[in-house]
Amino acid sequence: MNKLSTILSWVFQIVAAAILAQTLYFKFSGHPESVKLFSELGMEPHGRVLIGILELVAVLLLIRPTSAIWGAILSVGVMSGAIIGHFTHLGWDGERGQLGMLAVLVFVASLAVLAIRRKTIPFLKSVFDENVPVEAPVEEE
Amino acid sequence: MKASLSVDLHKLAKFVNLSLPVLSVLFFFAGLHLSFYFHFATVTFLLLTVINLFYLRVQRSHALLGNFGIIGQARYMMESIGPELRQYFFANDTEERPFNRNERAEVYRKAKNVDSAASFGSQQNFDEFELKLRHTMFPVAKSELQPFSLTLGEERGIANAYTLSSPFMISAMSYGALGEKAVRSLSRGAKKTGILMNTGEGGYPKYHLEEGGNLIFQIGTAKFGVRTPEGHLDEAKLKEVCAKDQIKMIEIKLSQGAKPGKGGMLPKEKITQEISELRGVPLGKDVISPPSHVECTSPEATVEFIKRIQEISQLPVGIKLCLGRPEEFEELVEAMIKRQSFPDWITVDGSEGGTGAAPKAFLDSVGIPIYPALKIVGDILKKHNVRDRLKVFAGGKLISPARQIMAFCLGADAIYTARGFMLALGCIQALECGNNTCPVGITTHDPSLQRGLDIEQKANRVCNYVHALEHDLRELLSATGCRSVREFNEEHLFIPKGTILSSLYTKNTLAPVSS
Repeated sequence: MNKLSTILSWVFQIVAAAILAQTLYFKFSGHPESVKLFSELGMEPHGRVLIGILELVAVLLLIRPTSAIWGAILSVGVMSGAIIGHFTHLGWDGERGQLGMLAVLVFVASLAVLAIRRKTIPFLKSVFDENVPVEAPVEEE
Repeated sequence: MKASLSVDLHKLAKFVNLSLPVLSVLFFFAGLHLSFYFHFATVTFLLLTVINLFYLRVQRSHALLGNFGIIGQARYMMESIGPELRQYFFANDTEERPFNRNERAEVYRKAKNVDSAASFGSQQNFDEFELKLRHTMFPVAKSELQPFSLTLGEERGIANAYTLSSPFMISAMSYGALGEKAVRSLSRGAKKTGILMNTGEGGYPKYHLEEGGNLIFQIGTAKFGVRTPEGHLDEAKLKEVCAKDQIKMIEIKLSQGAKPGKGGMLPKEKITQEISELRGVPLGKDVISPPSHVECTSPEATVEFIKRIQEISQLPVGIKLCLGRPEEFEELVEAMIKRQSFPDWITVDGSEGGTGAAPKAFLDSVGIPIYPALKIVGDILKKHNVRDRLKVFAGGKLISPARQIMAFCLGADAIYTARGFMLALGCIQALECGNNTCPVGITTHDPSLQRGLDIEQKANRVCNYVHALEHDLRELLSATGCRSVREFNEEHLFIPKGTILSSLYTKNTLAPVSS
């Protein structure tokens, strides 16, 4: 990775981690709005805590350089679930729409991290190897 | 097996490829109508579907993944854990390379001071062509054995002649190839036992010196530590190094068993800021030493170069080489005789020698292995009547008493081993030496991997290993009826027909021909 893509990746990581982190407080403190949301999904209270823990793990992974890729994968997974929730149960009206768009934003940012760091994705990385013929050896010095 | 009963992996793959999207949809509806928790499965299968589509339709670099999709991935995953599975479960005790489990276990036991007696019988295959030691009917009492003593440099009458009191030495491993803690452990262990440690061609041996062990300073082909910017010898720097009390001898590396004809290699992963400064090399680039010293263009020039180093250093000076063409070695010996100028010893490195990094072709196929090399070198030295003038050190997988004794019998005066000492430090033969990812912290500069390596503990292991080798040597001396290592000779070997070694004897008999 060159310097520009490293910086870019960090911008996306921070954006995703920051948005995820600020919703954690509402989830763990049992904020009425959060409780209502998870009640509609039929996941209250265990699902709320479970999702909260997964998001917390994603945040922690995202802000460490060596684990950012794992954080991005987890975050993509959890946000896919959130987006499904908005389409099937929660809807996109008013404040809900804002929450939904935040989920989409985190989803996109995490995808961007995956795209930038694609050469380090576990198991997948080798398919991104550049396949260019090496040059014939030249005399050194 | 009937075709109808066998598993058709291609069909299985197609089934999996179809099931992934179907399962995603099914779980989606389960999540919609039964419980939102089903969406954990929906998301998982969706991601797998996307990855699968990517494998099948987008990527072009792996045909297997393109044809089979995600279950083709299983092949790569299983293949990647193959080495571990084989080492832990499936490989038997005598088949791994370079060292099988029996050989490694012997060093571990010695290093931990655990009794190495084994039960029921040997696991070696006695029908195979193996060298064996021929014992005597009348062993020598231990009290009659003479203590080991080998003086280097006495023939030249130099003030700094050095006497080895143990035939075992830690072979050349640089700071760079090894991490700081491993170097410290070895140097501290060397100090505890009074053996010599070779610094390797790693520039100024900072950590080797700090722990107080006595050292052989190695001048590699790149002359790290004593080099002018053009790659010539910097005499002032050499004098400075030789002035250190701990530097007892100098070894000029002409070639190395693991990669003869090629210079040392240090992969860029292992070049830290400090190493780049100690060696004077750039960061982020593999360091490859030249294949030979610029001074050594002919046998005469090589002898001249050795003499020059002897004069500057005023220390015993030896050369290290892996035997390639015996005629060339003979020419070198003839040049020494003509000028009456000899190195104080010759290190014969077998092509089975170890390394942190070497091209596979060199590792596997270049150079003569240690036993035949010792035999050839010994014969050439005897032919020219200089066997007594030149000491011979031997290296090349000599980690256990059994192999060491064979080397003594074939003419070695002292034994070098590097990997034996690495195993004593806890090496598990993960074969990661060139990647800076050594799991036991020996050949890595990663602090988190070196964390587990306790210097004092490992120095004690080094100490135990040396003492156990010395103990076994005494046992074997007694069993063969020899009072000192110098009495060992080819007569003590049983050399079956069909071995490489037996082909070097004129009469192809079971026992060697008396010379």
